[in-house]
Amino acid sequence: MRLAVFLLVLTALIGAKPLHAQHVMRWGGDAEGGAPFVEADARDPSKLVGFDVEIAELIAKRLGRTPQFLQVQFTSLDQSAKRGDFEIGLSGIEDIPARRQSLAASIPYYEFREVMTVRAGDRDRFRSLDDLKGKRVATLGGTMAYDLLLDAERTHGITAVSYDDDVHPYSDLVLGRVDAVVLDNVLADRAMRRNQGLVTHADALAVGHYIVITAPENTALRDQVDTILRDAMRDGTLESIFKKWRVWNEDQPALYARQLETVAPGTPGTPGTQPLGTPGTVRTVRTSVGAYLPSLLRAAVITLVLSCAAMALAVSLGMMIAIGRVYGDPLSRLILTVYVEVMRGTPVLLQLFVIYYGLAAVIRLPAFIAALLGLGLNYAAYESEIYRSALEAVPRGQLDAARILGFTRLQTLRLIRAPQAFRLALAPMTNDFVALLKDSSLVSMLTVVELTKQTQIFATNIGSWVIPGVLCALLYLAMSLPLGFLARRLEQRWRMPTP
Amino acid sequence: MEDADAMSHVLEARGVHLRRGSREILRGVNLRADAGEIVALMGLSGSGKTTMLRCIAGLEARDAGEVTAAKVGMVFQFHYLFEHLSAIDNVTLAPTHVQHVPLADARKRAHALLEQLGVGHRAEALPRELSGGEAQRVAIARALAVDPPLLLLDEPTASLDPARRNDLGDALVQLATSGRALVMTSHDDDFVRDFATRVVVLANGEVVEEGDPQTVLTSPSHPSTKELLQIGRARRVQ
Repeated sequence: MRLAVFLLVLTALIGAKPLHAQHVMRWGGDAEGGAPFVEADARDPSKLVGFDVEIAELIAKRLGRTPQFLQVQFTSLDQSAKRGDFEIGLSGIEDIPARRQSLAASIPYYEFREVMTVRAGDRDRFRSLDDLKGKRVATLGGTMAYDLLLDAERTHGITAVSYDDDVHPYSDLVLGRVDAVVLDNVLADRAMRRNQGLVTHADALAVGHYIVITAPENTALRDQVDTILRDAMRDGTLESIFKKWRVWNEDQPALYARQLETVAPGTPGTPGTQPLGTPGTVRTVRTSVGAYLPSLLRAAVITLVLSCAAMALAVSLGMMIAIGRVYGDPLSRLILTVYVEVMRGTPVLLQLFVIYYGLAAVIRLPAFIAALLGLGLNYAAYESEIYRSALEAVPRGQLDAARILGFTRLQTLRLIRAPQAFRLALAPMTNDFVALLKDSSLVSMLTVVELTKQTQIFATNIGSWVIPGVLCALLYLAMSLPLGFLARRLEQRWRMPTP
Repeated sequence: MEDADAMSHVLEARGVHLRRGSREILRGVNLRADAGEIVALMGLSGSGKTTMLRCIAGLEARDAGEVTAAKVGMVFQFHYLFEHLSAIDNVTLAPTHVQHVPLADARKRAHALLEQLGVGHRAEALPRELSGGEAQRVAIARALAVDPPLLLLDEPTASLDPARRNDLGDALVQLATSGRALVMTSHDDDFVRDFATRVVVLANGEVVEEGDPQTVLTSPSHPSTKELLQIGRARRVQ
């Protein structure tokens, strides 16, 4: 009897869930992407507006369901779709082969042009990538434009600079940190409205499309989406949405005509779609590893150099702060304490942003230097606390003994106090260095491509995190394990007595 | 006449006052020591004897009074050797860095000092590897390395067993005969009776009794001295 009730309840629960899920349609996008794609409504930030929002609502409505938005970081949209966090994803997602291989992708619903934006003064000097040999050209990471620039590094000798958002490439262009930005015309138009003194060349460097993505196994839903998109192309719904957002242009009717004639109504599948797990895919992954490993190693070197330099800065500055706090007069002690509390009490990411973007009006630091300063200044606060407590841990009696023997305060510090403090500080210092090695991944925000960033690019391009993740982890371990080993050896040699 | 007399003392302290907050630790202490003397400062806990020693060494700022002392060496109750340096390096550090004696000379002299104190074989040991008695001898050698005419010792017998105590006493007598003045604090009336040349008894920050150890410690005149001896006897019975 009890069992029967239990089974009944269980059946009800299992049955109820799909019913509920059937009604709501979760769609994923990145509201940080902003207008005209997805953006919080200025009048009511709890509401989203944008052409992607309207297309998602259109799809939901024609499926007879209620749209529900899920915020996903732009670079994570593919992985999130694969995990099944949402049913459909759209947020200016580009139609690239890797995406079609790893996900079920819809027909294109918008055609864009990759265009080049330069400072107005460079309008005639920089007309195409051919004019930019040896120059820095910025774009948004993980996009077609970035792949295009990576190719141009080889073919045109430019330097590609990747950003995590589409705002800072243009603001850095204004500041002169980069000499051109290549992105799609929708983003370029938006940036032109926001920044003065920029010019966009109309010629397309490449043509691309926005698509809707679904989980790879969910081809049924994808086919439904395709049908809805074609209907919306035919009945003018898409046209009115794009016109409302002022991104309609003559490229779109041509795209729609192609989509409506190439595939007979009801035929599933779109060009470029390929099932998962074929030998072709495996080969692609293997060749990708070979292709990306050198750049991963280069990125690891950047991580290591950056971490070592930042730690050297943190150690020397931290020592000075600690000595100032132990020996200084009340005023300098107060100033140093405030420094330590502010640096420890605010996120290092914020500090990096302030140094790189916030100070740009005063001093235009190169990205690597800004990263080095940001990490070094932040870690100096932590190091100083380690040294301060280590200095305080040396028994007062030894300092009294030194004073009676006639040592000056500087000699006492140099010969007696600091050497003992250093031994005590070694273990926590090693800990901090390993932490710094990993925190250095934050500097990708400042366009420095270090190990984690390179891994992310790698993962986006091949559409999987497994191999890039393992390689990345191995490289981090290869850097941190020898360090831990060395520190343990030194500690054993200098083992301090337990008081 | 008195001034000329003062000049000849290795240590001359007059009317030393020291206050910590509202508490008066020292209330006008007079103390002198001459070459060849071993002066013992005795008193119950809190009588101010260690503070007086630190005052002479210049580690405490006095509120009133005068201290005229030659260069001072000090041996702490807990030795406070520099933990990161070997015994010999503890001894040579001050001569080489403060007096700028060449390292080879400093090491030669340090070896001689350690030999003389019976710890020559422990020269390369780190402080944490030394026994209490060995560490004390290294600490004495470190204090003597800069050749101070006045040597201060805080509770030198505190961590020693009886046999070691006599060795230490002999070593101190030898140091005094070679022309140094020694001032030590002690709880141990037997040790003071056997090796000190003079005893000064402190109570509540004041000198209450002073004189030849045999006399003072055999027939004490002040109640504090009597109490001190009773405690000492009780400890020995235990």
